[in-house]
Amino acid sequence: MTLDDIARELELVELVPPNEVERAAEVTRGYASDLLSDVLAHAPADGVLVTLQVHLNVIAVAGHADLAAVIFAGGRRPDDDVVAKAVEEGLALYGCEADTFEIAGRLYALGVKGSRA
Amino acid sequence: MKLCFADLHVHTALSPCADDEMTPPRIVERALAEGLAMIAVCDHNTTGNTAAVQAAAERATVTTAARAGDVAAAAERANAPEAVERTAASGTPAGDGLAVIAGMEVTSLEECHVVGLFPDAACAAAAGAEVTGLLPAAGEGYTEFFGEQHLLAVDGTRRGAEPAALATATPLDVGAVVALVHRHGGLAVAAHVDRRSFGVVGQLGVFPAEAGFDAVEVSRHVSADSPTLAEYAAFGLPLLRSSDSHTLDTLGSARTALRVAAPTFAELALALCGAEGRSVALA
Repeated sequence: MTLDDIARELELVELVPPNEVERAAEVTRGYASDLLSDVLAHAPADGVLVTLQVHLNVIAVAGHADLAAVIFAGGRRPDDDVVAKAVEEGLALYGCEADTFEIAGRLYALGVKGSRA
Repeated sequence: MKLCFADLHVHTALSPCADDEMTPPRIVERALAEGLAMIAVCDHNTTGNTAAVQAAAERATVTTAARAGDVAAAAERANAPEAVERTAASGTPAGDGLAVIAGMEVTSLEECHVVGLFPDAACAAAAGAEVTGLLPAAGEGYTEFFGEQHLLAVDGTRRGAEPAALATATPLDVGAVVALVHRHGGLAVAAHVDRRSFGVVGQLGVFPAEAGFDAVEVSRHVSADSPTLAEYAAFGLPLLRSSDSHTLDTLGSARTALRVAAPTFAELALALCGAEGRSVALA
């Protein structure tokens, strides 16, 4: 599944679109966590992160962990400066109303597995 | 007792997320222009620039005294550099200068921010060494994503870069961070409790009364007369209001009014207890 496929299937709100490379890439791994130190240590490269955290450090952590995209769960939305930073870094951002458990389950059902699965 | 104003949470360019303009002389200049009598330098998980800001404040005091015609006092200080250093280290400038409290903003295991305010530069440095030593090294790509970590001299010139990853969390839980601050003689403040990110309530769901905090800080996003303050006052601790400034333009944008005998750490500690006519209030 590509990010576009996932976004369409799960009806995600696209906050920052994926760049050309990410748009074509297959996303096979995902991670869900609100502790950014944990994300930094364990999130799979090229994976998607589901999180409730919407502050600026999320973008830095996602960049450092080489993630393909971040999905903000539970209807949370980042501020404009966070979105601007993601645009600058070329990091795709999505929002959804579903909570973390729900969206992680739907991702899994689409074939996106955990980092160790 | 006299009334003075303090901004007890200010970052320098050592914090990866802070602006490069946050140098010791510019911070001091701005704080004095804002009419502050006291600031606390609280970088993320380090105290590496606190002594430099204290020294810059001392220099500014000497300069101000000289400008005011108090040449004799300035000369006396110039002739007694040891005394000046001692004064700077205690965070207590002579005359109407700026008192700089040596502090640190520690990130707990749960990613809660805890501000530690220390009696002097030596206590702060010992606490800082302990905390910074718990962090991983800033690996490849770290600076690119999190920002530069400038160690600065008193005049604002760069004397190096902090090699530890200051933007990461320590392995200490909130209670252990508070205990560490206390062990080094400091006061532990629950930073920006109104913020969903990195505030103790946002991260833990409830205020951790058992952690042993000495005070609770609200950010500049909560006005000094906000009705939401009642929620934070219910924690039963004195409230402080600080800017958490990462840029010069926000320094002093939130402040605490201190009623103290003098703007010193010891007086601040007494004011938090409400001792003998001393007090803290939001401003």
